[in-house]
Amino acid sequence: MAILIDKNTRLLVQGITGTEAQRSLSLMKSSGTVITCGVTPGKGGQSVEGIPVYNTVAEALKKHPETNASFVSVPPFAAKDAVIEAVFNGIKLVVCITENVPVRDAALMARYAQVHGVVLVGPGSVGVIAPGIGRIGPIGGLDTMASEIYQPGTVGVVSTSGGMTNEVAWIVRQAGYGHSTVLSIGGEKILGTTFADILQRFEQDAQTKAVVLFGELGGHYENQIAALIKEKKFTKPLIAFIAGTFTESLPKGIQFGHAAALLNEKETYPTYKKRALRDAGVHVVDALIDIPNKLREVL
Amino acid sequence: MRLYEYEAKALLRKHGVSVPESVHLMNAATPPPLGFPVVVKAQVLAGGRGKAGAVKVAQSALELQQAIVQLFSTKVKGEPVNSVLIESFVKTKSELYISFLYDTRMRGPVLLASAQGGVDIEQNADSIVRVPIDPLVGLQDWQCRLALGTHVTPQITAVLMKLWQCFVQEDCTLLEINPLAIAGDGTLSCVGTMIELDDFAFFRHKERSYSPRNPAIGREITEREKMVKLLNDADHHGTIKYLELDGDIGFLASGGGASLTCMDKLIEAGGKPANYSEFSGNPSEQKIAALIDAVLSKPLKGLWVIGGVANFTAVDTTMKVLVDVLKKHKPKIPIVVRRGGPKEKEGLQILRDAAAHEGWRVEAHGREIPLTQTAQRMVELAYGNTH
Repeated sequence: MAILIDKNTRLLVQGITGTEAQRSLSLMKSSGTVITCGVTPGKGGQSVEGIPVYNTVAEALKKHPETNASFVSVPPFAAKDAVIEAVFNGIKLVVCITENVPVRDAALMARYAQVHGVVLVGPGSVGVIAPGIGRIGPIGGLDTMASEIYQPGTVGVVSTSGGMTNEVAWIVRQAGYGHSTVLSIGGEKILGTTFADILQRFEQDAQTKAVVLFGELGGHYENQIAALIKEKKFTKPLIAFIAGTFTESLPKGIQFGHAAALLNEKETYPTYKKRALRDAGVHVVDALIDIPNKLREVL
Repeated sequence: MRLYEYEAKALLRKHGVSVPESVHLMNAATPPPLGFPVVVKAQVLAGGRGKAGAVKVAQSALELQQAIVQLFSTKVKGEPVNSVLIESFVKTKSELYISFLYDTRMRGPVLLASAQGGVDIEQNADSIVRVPIDPLVGLQDWQCRLALGTHVTPQITAVLMKLWQCFVQEDCTLLEINPLAIAGDGTLSCVGTMIELDDFAFFRHKERSYSPRNPAIGREITEREKMVKLLNDADHHGTIKYLELDGDIGFLASGGGASLTCMDKLIEAGGKPANYSEFSGNPSEQKIAALIDAVLSKPLKGLWVIGGVANFTAVDTTMKVLVDVLKKHKPKIPIVVRRGGPKEKEGLQILRDAAAHEGWRVEAHGREIPLTQTAQRMVELAYGNTH
């Protein structure tokens, strides 16, 4: 199984002629993802690595009606337009890796996707990988490294941070476990898909026996997990690491790393989040190196 | 980016929102007449200015002159006063608190409102009503009624609509009015204003020319911070961030999440970071070099170069840039590195070879070592036995 992607995923790549998208193409294909078409406005009629390019999503889908997912890799100013174009044309899964998207645009695309029943991962995701099935986005990097880090297995990994997604997946692998699905939801303030959304999917996924989560200061997405567990909507073992405690002793109002990493209310502090998660029964680790032992304990 | 009050009020005026008549002074010159009483407000970015003594009421020309001179010579919460705003005093019958911001719980914009606005809003936080706004349709009349109950009037709704337009069109991440003053005759005026603009939306507002802002509220932006910020904003490829701190271990991190994780560990291990930094999203070599240069330009006892297992950022590129900048600085301090990702072995070897050749004290590790394990080592090498 796995979540979000399966053998029937047929992928459109928006921004296919850009460097960011192009370096992901061969990786996605060699991981098993079937790419049907690409879109870059003004570049219709070209082809990239044998994949036909169209000017609009509508044209692309007319020629490739089996397409059901989109990988959006466009500059920040074009992200809202690209995501809404995909959703309007009936794509059901959109993974947007664009970072530094204006929060107004992120809120619009998240709401638009939600209203249309579309799963939007990101903006600011590094992608989704289901080892043995496929991947959307540059997650995992080159095949030599990806094959060393990723292997089909029972642990789900979800992270705000793209880099830490890979790091945590590697820790899981070094501990002797494989992965069901690994993804980053992005570090932006407004997200299409939250931790709570992903955990509900992992709950439904028979392959996933435990989940490791990397969270940060700022926002409320980690706190929503506690509510989810209390409502018994997520019942599998969850190991969580929350970064950024040091920021609590610095002046408020500073932006750290990701857009959402900003302290404003006490609920957004790492200390608060860790306590809320612990109270809900989550295995909160204070160091990443504690993850392997925790995994052995819960699996 | 947070705006100074005079900048925020200029934006409100642009959107047809009523603000007190005012004069903005860049130095302690004699201001043009406004008619007394007037309010003299230090233009600093910190909140809570009233309670910090940065807002004064003047009844006469003499009091006004005294207030101006006094404010220019003080610091407010560590921030020097570079300008003052002189406003007509607004007589109020009641005061509302209004703000628009993005809320991660609602995953969208919200309106916060209270009929008990003013300087004590924090004590009256329970009176604040939080109303989510659907960004697809924007603020609706009924939401104003929901937010303010019996206190709402058509005039107030009209002002809220204009504020919402300002919030959206100017790409604000926060637009706070406290108080929205209601005079005896029902006249409305935005007396206190706080606006934060979305740094990521400046491509839509090319006409803007705001000066670089303090990354940490409470002190002025440093030259190093200014330099990194200017270069970061030069193009949209990748991000570099730099925040100066008081310690003595240089901190150079790749990735937002890794930077937070490692700062936590460094401090836990007893290290005192000289800065926070982060680069991600594949910034240009020029950007990375500028960031490394900023980190190394402080007096340091050690340099910690740290990052997770990158998805795509080639480690050899980063290390080549690091070597180039190190050659310029000729560091005598211990340097501890942990970085994984594409071309990890090649990258670390480039650094080790250069270190051997130049006589730098470098310990370089790849992903075989856990991310934060090198924190302790860095602290030992930096502080030695005296720690």
